[in-house]
Amino acid sequence: MLGPGIAAYLILSVVLFATGAFGVLIRRSPLIILLALELMLNAGNLALIAFARQLGDGDGQIFALTVMVVAAAEAVLGLGLIVAVSRKHAELDVDRLTSLRG
Amino acid sequence: MDVLAWTALFSPAAAVVAIALLGERVDRFAAGLIAAGATLFSFICTVAIFFDMLGESPEERSEVSTIWTWLTAGDLRIGASVLIDPLSVFMMLVVTGVGFLILTYAIGYMRGDEEERRYHAYKALFIFSMLLLVMAGNLLLLLAGWGMVGLSSYLLINYWHQRRAPVEAGKKAFVMNAVGDATFVLALFVLVQQIGSLDYGVVFSEAPEALGEGSTLAVLVALGLLGGAVAKSAQIPLHTWLPDAMEGPTPVSALIHAATMVTAGVYLIARTSPLFELAIDVRELAGILGAVTLLAAGLIALVQTDIKRVIAYSTMSQIGYMFVGAGLGAYGPSMFHLMTHAFFKALLFMAAGVVIHALSGEQDIRRMGGLARELPWTYRAFLVGALALAAIPPFAGFFSKDAILASLIDQGSLGVLLWAAGITGAFLTGLYTFRLLFIVFFGEISPYAREHLHKERFEGPVSMMWPIAVLAVLSTIAGFLQVPGGWHLVDTWLDPVVESVEEASGALALFSILASLVAASGGIAVAWALYRRPGDRPAAIRKRFPWAAETLEHKLYFDEAYDLVFYRPASALAAWLLGRIEGPLVLRSLGGLGTGVRDVSDRVAAAQTGRVRAYVLALALGLAVLAVVFLVVA
Amino acid sequence: MEILVAASAGNVLVWIVWIAAALALLASGIAVVLFVNPFFSALALIGNLASLAVLYLLLAGEFVAGAQVIVYAGAIVIMFVFVLAYLGGRADAPWAGGPTLQNVVAIVAAAAIALEVIVVIALKAGDELSDTAEIGGSFGSPAQIGELFLSDHLLAFEVTSIVLLVAAVGGVILGSALPSLEDGDEG
Repeated sequence: MLGPGIAAYLILSVVLFATGAFGVLIRRSPLIILLALELMLNAGNLALIAFARQLGDGDGQIFALTVMVVAAAEAVLGLGLIVAVSRKHAELDVDRLTSLRG
Repeated sequence: MDVLAWTALFSPAAAVVAIALLGERVDRFAAGLIAAGATLFSFICTVAIFFDMLGESPEERSEVSTIWTWLTAGDLRIGASVLIDPLSVFMMLVVTGVGFLILTYAIGYMRGDEEERRYHAYKALFIFSMLLLVMAGNLLLLLAGWGMVGLSSYLLINYWHQRRAPVEAGKKAFVMNAVGDATFVLALFVLVQQIGSLDYGVVFSEAPEALGEGSTLAVLVALGLLGGAVAKSAQIPLHTWLPDAMEGPTPVSALIHAATMVTAGVYLIARTSPLFELAIDVRELAGILGAVTLLAAGLIALVQTDIKRVIAYSTMSQIGYMFVGAGLGAYGPSMFHLMTHAFFKALLFMAAGVVIHALSGEQDIRRMGGLARELPWTYRAFLVGALALAAIPPFAGFFSKDAILASLIDQGSLGVLLWAAGITGAFLTGLYTFRLLFIVFFGEISPYAREHLHKERFEGPVSMMWPIAVLAVLSTIAGFLQVPGGWHLVDTWLDPVVESVEEASGALALFSILASLVAASGGIAVAWALYRRPGDRPAAIRKRFPWAAETLEHKLYFDEAYDLVFYRPASALAAWLLGRIEGPLVLRSLGGLGTGVRDVSDRVAAAQTGRVRAYVLALALGLAVLAVVFLVVA
Repeated sequence: MEILVAASAGNVLVWIVWIAAALALLASGIAVVLFVNPFFSALALIGNLASLAVLYLLLAGEFVAGAQVIVYAGAIVIMFVFVLAYLGGRADAPWAGGPTLQNVVAIVAAAAIALEVIVVIALKAGDELSDTAEIGGSFGSPAQIGELFLSDHLLAFEVTSIVLLVAAVGGVILGSALPSLEDGDEG
């Protein structure tokens, strides 16, 4: 195979995943959190495609496409929630949205 | 014959079930008829068995019939079996015959009561239990009947359960009987261990070898049986429940606490006489206890003011006579006295019941007086009963009591001692019986009676009066079954089962008879002097011996002693246990469990902050940790 | 690590493209996470998606690369931008704030995850990850993807359509006018 080996792609994927995780943990705006979530999903996709290439199996790409569909659905619902929350004039700050407290 | 026996046994049981199931669909009178009718049916069956038996020779008169194996445990097999022999038929006749008369009487007595059907059902249950007891073919079934009569007694004593006194009396009776039951069962344990069976035939034949004569084991067995008998028959020291049991309705007192249940102890001693033969000392102890009871009860009866309690103490005293007889081997005379006592004691209770009924429930004799004029037939019946009780010829009590006394005088020094006690007892019997008669029936009619007396056409309801008449007749003629110095039908009848000692011969017997007549007449004479007219002689005597009067009125302080020795320590112990052990350990730990769980859950709930970022952080940390774990493991 | 530098001269172009794409990926990723203004974050995401598409192309996933650009960059990010426009000023959120325990632990956790997996990959890079299969020319082509979807993974295909339906319904419901509370209650 030309270029770096699969390991390189996987390391990239992990770093991207960690970045996304970091973003989810550290930001307070739900919109940014959703964006960071997309990063994590894409990192997963990258790993899948890399493995598909390594094993010569198209299933990995199918899986990645399905993940993309799920990400799209999740983004729709997440944004819908954000819109609904903002309609109630609540602050878009996850630290303040704590009514599901135990 | 065995079919008849089983039918006789189960007929009252069927009555109980019928009354219970029919409930309100059968009217109250009908419930009484069912119970009484079932008992009559049993009586008829028993008479048939009796005649059947007469046709056989004396040695053949014993039959055991088992319908199924009730209990098996290892090698022990106990069947549901009945034993039909002269002794059991004798008891069955008394139980069903007198029982039928009393159940009929009860129909009239209890009419109008709130829960009449329950009463008749319990009565039928009692008859069944008593029959089970006397018909049992092995000791375990006898124990079953024993316990059930205790239960029926309890149920009937606190029949009027809305009031406090009957409930307490019922509990007292039951608990004291339980003490006797415990000793009884211990005796059975020894028998099972040593002999491996509880069938009469097996036990009686193997006992001499297995237990040994006069050995500790034999003594223990006999003591255990005696304990049961003493409790059931209300002898000292387990006697305090009987006077309290008078809280039950009068027919109950007549049937259970006079004629039948309390005599079960005597029956037990007679039935297990082979075992008592192995421990003669214990048998003699029974006699001694009987004598002590006879005297003590007679004394206490002198100061009682409740009409039923006088008769109750009289019962205790007369059963003392039976114990004395059995204790020295005079089984036949004891059983004969059991029979005549059933007749005249039931008669006395029933006549008293008519008086009580006529005075709308009043039982205090100080409020009675001069009733002979108002209730003449009742008075005559009571007089017959009193004469029988005081052993005046030709009434039945004379023959039976003298049979016992005549057998005693010949039996060595203990026999003479007990004989003397018996003669003293005869004096006391005459005294307290006629004291009662004179106070209630003689003199001027009391103001209370004048106000409250209400009579029916025959002084009482018809169903109450004709059984009284029958019993009066029986109390008059039944004595002639056995005449000392003449013929001994009862002894002969019972001979195949229990051999009684010979009664004294000619001169001694005559002496005994005369002595008892003199004593009884003396008692009646004293009563005549003191009580025929209301006067202050009794009060004057009381003042001369205040200490004696106090003791007698407190029933020799037995109740107080038991309270001090048994009840107080027990309740103190229970309170201590509750405070120290049950409270902190059990109750509080349960509560602690609840609050503890709640505390822990409160603390756990604090982790639910509601902040999403915290949750996600937890996720991420968990993921990091898991990654390490997978690394290490894989 | 030797494997990584097992490059031959003919790979130079591929390597250069790879390095460029990787750098862009990481840079845009960090930008998404760190920008204060969400609009800038969304734009950075577009950059991220583009670099990913390039990397997919390098991995012989042509169809997936195309789908990535069309679906993600072309639809999802547009949706984000629309919502941002709708929310306007309300979308601005304060930065997380100073070094609280949460933030420190967050850094630690993310770093730990990354580090661990990298270690694993490095350890395994020698044996399992060293052989790459030979692939034919049709690998990753639309024809192959289509064939796979309609044969082996038909169920997944149908289920995804249902998922999309549910998402659409949910989105409509969430987005429709809901009764608003009088006081600014916490959500």
